Amino acid sequence: MKITARHNTDVLVIGAGASGLRAALAAAEAGAAVILANKGPLARSGITLTAAGGMQAPLHPDDSAAIFCDDIIACGYGLADGDLVRALAEDAADRVLETERYGVNFVRDAAGGYTLSQFPGQSRPRNLFVRGGGIGLAAALAKACRSNPRIQIMDDFFITGLVRNTGGAAAGAVGLDLRNGELTLLAARAVIMATGGCQWLWATNDCPADATGDGIVYAYRAGAELVDMEMALFYPSVLVWPPSLKGAFVHYEFLAPDALDGNIYDNAGQPVLPKPLPVRDQAMRLLARAIKDGRGGPHGGLLWYVGDSPKGAAAVAAKLDILQYNYIRAHGVDPATDRVEVAPGAHYLMGGIHIDPDGRTTVAGLFAAPECAGNFDGANRLAGNGLTATQVFGARAGLAASRWAAENGGAGPDPAAAEAETARIAARLDRGSSGTDIAALRDRLRAAVQQHAGVGRDAAGLTRLAQLARETQAELAAARVPDAGVFNQRLVELLELENMAEIAGLVAGCALARAETRGHHIRDDFPARDDANWLRHTLAKRTAGGPLFGAKPLRD
Amino acid sequence: MDNSPPITVRVFRFDPAADEAGRLEEFAVASAAPLSVMALLAKVRELDATFCCRTSTCFKGRCGSCLVRVNGRDAFGCTTLVRPGETVVIEPHSRYAVVRDVVIDFARPLTAEGESGQ
Repeated sequence: MKITARHNTDVLVIGAGASGLRAALAAAEAGAAVILANKGPLARSGITLTAAGGMQAPLHPDDSAAIFCDDIIACGYGLADGDLVRALAEDAADRVLETERYGVNFVRDAAGGYTLSQFPGQSRPRNLFVRGGGIGLAAALAKACRSNPRIQIMDDFFITGLVRNTGGAAAGAVGLDLRNGELTLLAARAVIMATGGCQWLWATNDCPADATGDGIVYAYRAGAELVDMEMALFYPSVLVWPPSLKGAFVHYEFLAPDALDGNIYDNAGQPVLPKPLPVRDQAMRLLARAIKDGRGGPHGGLLWYVGDSPKGAAAVAAKLDILQYNYIRAHGVDPATDRVEVAPGAHYLMGGIHIDPDGRTTVAGLFAAPECAGNFDGANRLAGNGLTATQVFGARAGLAASRWAAENGGAGPDPAAAEAETARIAARLDRGSSGTDIAALRDRLRAAVQQHAGVGRDAAGLTRLAQLARETQAELAAARVPDAGVFNQRLVELLELENMAEIAGLVAGCALARAETRGHHIRDDFPARDDANWLRHTLAKRTAGGPLFGAKPLRD
Repeated sequence: MDNSPPITVRVFRFDPAADEAGRLEEFAVASAAPLSVMALLAKVRELDATFCCRTSTCFKGRCGSCLVRVNGRDAFGCTTLVRPGETVVIEPHSRYAVVRDVVIDFARPLTAEGESGQ
């Protein structure tokens, strides 16, 4: 296999969720030529689509960017970079409202104002709700990208790795154009990584199978520093039954007294969560503890129930008459009247590629935008900050990358780098298959991540996970798949699993390094929070001898 | 173990490099519970790694990544349920060009209505 196609651009955006789309628009509006490459079809793949649609901005008359800022830092247990949090809080209102310019619609009250709801951890009502949820947001931004003549969209394009120029700056990427089977070089003056998190690593999660963390691994391989990779956020109430609904979630926030006032019950009918509802990490900890204590239902989950809501059946039916709940209904479970079996599941990655407020990584010419970037949340994330961050940091990265492209670059990818990446991919192809059972290796890895890096971790388990990740990498190194031409899904799945195995090792290494309990990172062998030693990021950096794990100071 | 009868899946197979026309291939999928067409396709992929299908979902029955043709009708694969013992025919959605097997190219609608999504 050889590179048989080449495209040149100013800014290459990898990943077309809400942050990649917003970054592409910002770069194009600043005058840059943009290629937007996405591994699935635009606005029909990726993690953004699963977002319920809450989006935070300090628009309430009693609210301000400063109060918002304080809420983020408090909710994240002090682990976010101060400069990133300020950028997020200060830009939030403008960037959120600006989405209307691209065709996004927000839910409004009878007087025409934005409906602002207050979720746990928010000291003021601050959550706007996008009509159509994450799909509504992605669809509007995708339409704006399609109609921008400076943006070239490449659907079904699986990036395999970054290429740098001879000076070491990011200069593009190599990828498989799945629709024609061509290995393609995308030469760019600046690259924005916007590939999302790696939640698919966990056997229980509420993300699509796309969430394999590809871009985080590619940035790491190119030398970028990663921070807080142990900080996966576990949403409290992800469906674990029936099998066809695995991965959907129901709002634990809807159980609040001023919402539906429901409960999550154990197998003896006792409610598991107190009222008022705790923030996410505390809620999911209570659920995980109850399940561990044997209080779970027949399929290992607890029972989310709003059927006895004091608000009445009509209010419940009205509140749950939205896409997310109608989807559950289509599978034979009525969330308005049935007990829905749930457990904590991986929902969001708070750590990732370390960025500054303009999305710069530690590699020249390489930028990153949520959710593959971090850490602007800390050890827990407020509801509604995920989508807001895509718009704030997507726009900032797009603008900064377009400036970088105008002022630098031109050197082009080092041909030796493109050659090396081509050889790496070509070596995975053979006339026949090596017989490696990719699906079995994947399932084994995901079960191990769930067991050892889920809710509740310790040194012995994390060491086992790191070992298993290395073994999986070694087994995959010998795996070969046929050169199947168009849509070589086996090759994509092999490369994705290689990415997952590498990132599992990084999650394990960072989780081992953080010898304390903070937010969603719960060390059973270090149950206390340790501000004296760990009010710092964990750091993962590639060296010639393998991953280097350490600590990195927070920025004020 | 349960005694549920398997689901019989007849899926469309087409490799543009080797085939002049598509054909249906039959698989038996064991499941005690009803499965969505999308989950069924993933099971077929586990039985035959050369079979291609999309795997991304929005969990809302809306994004359309899973659009296919089920028993002769265009449908969302993620919200169409098949029960143990049933037989189902799964083909590519009728309004987009086929890339391979049941994978379609959303950038190549075959009709003006294609882009509307259903």
